[in-house]
Amino acid sequence: MKRTLLLAITLTAAIATLAGQTNNGHPDLSGTWLFSIDLPPIALKKQTNGQTSIKGIDASGRRPAAEKVAGALPFTAAPVYKPELRAKVKDLLDHESKTDQVFYCGRPGVPRIGPPRRIIQLPSEVVFLYEDISGDPYRVIPTDGRPHKKDGNPSYYGDSVGRWDGNTLVVDVVNFVEDTWFGEDGYFHSDAMHVTERFWRSGPNLVYQVTVDDPKVLTTPWTMAPRVVKPSTEPLEESPKCVEADSKLLVNNDHHGQR
Amino acid sequence: MRRVLLAAVMLLAGSSPVLAHHSTTAEFDMAHRMTLSGTLTKIDWVNPHIVVFIDAKSTDGGGKAAWKFESNPPAWFRRVGVSRADFAKAIGQTVTVEGNRAKDGSLYGYLLKITYADGNSLELVVPGGDR
Repeated sequence: MKRTLLLAITLTAAIATLAGQTNNGHPDLSGTWLFSIDLPPIALKKQTNGQTSIKGIDASGRRPAAEKVAGALPFTAAPVYKPELRAKVKDLLDHESKTDQVFYCGRPGVPRIGPPRRIIQLPSEVVFLYEDISGDPYRVIPTDGRPHKKDGNPSYYGDSVGRWDGNTLVVDVVNFVEDTWFGEDGYFHSDAMHVTERFWRSGPNLVYQVTVDDPKVLTTPWTMAPRVVKPSTEPLEESPKCVEADSKLLVNNDHHGQR
Repeated sequence: MRRVLLAAVMLLAGSSPVLAHHSTTAEFDMAHRMTLSGTLTKIDWVNPHIVVFIDAKSTDGGGKAAWKFESNPPAWFRRVGVSRADFAKAIGQTVTVEGNRAKDGSLYGYLLKITYADGNSLELVVPGGDR
């Protein structure tokens, strides 16, 4: 009997794992996910002893989902700033190579860093690990129902608390420093920025969708297009240090582009 | 990071505005692809661009010209199966590089291809457009 019970438990756990469910009934988001920061969408042609090989990269995790994603919130292409602030957004965008901290190896912060490279899901918290040119940040996000910290210092990745809404992990993030942008096109924010990240499984993939609210600068919350991130077998690796060397070579304000 | 993405696309695509909404026209002369031979002296495996150091012969007669060529980010090279060692193995050897020179006239460029003394090479290409 004991043997049968053990077998049943093992099978249940195995089935749950296959279905992406953890033992506590929540979907399992744990895993290593595709590197989803912009990389050149070009390939490498390698000539070795007369043999030619060409290898490209998979940039799918960076782009908005190509097809409709079940469970996604309605989204729009761009945030709507208060009328009196739109000129500032344009000016930041027009001088992006001078004004964007990410150009100068600055931390992108949440949500600009995008989905994590690795998720470790524990019973009362989830751990996000990232690879980024500015460094490799981590976030430890409680999911035990606790509120935001009352006396935390503002930071690039904010103060996060998570909760489950059905099969979706909803991460609520506040208390940011003000020198990040939430999008590359000059999307500045205030200290009131409130980011909601949603994570759920779609088959073997992870879906990531972000809503940014900032009543001091936006007329309405902005929900971005969802991104579908494939699982990856590639282990995380420490990112080399970032050394900005291009700014002194720029001869005009043409956009260099970030992410 | 898109800086490197767009840099590479624009450099490979010449000055075509079709392939990118951001450009590297602020930094590199994308209309001309230069070729240079010299001694590979150093590799900086850093973000957001790796940097390859080449000592070439000075064009004004005598002496060396110390060139630097940046290229794609380490994360890109990693994902196309190239590590620092693939460059570093040729330190001290003569290599030929192709790239786009900085507009400000400095000895700086964007590396598109490197050919080693043994004839092996690494080259950035447009997917599906084997050049």
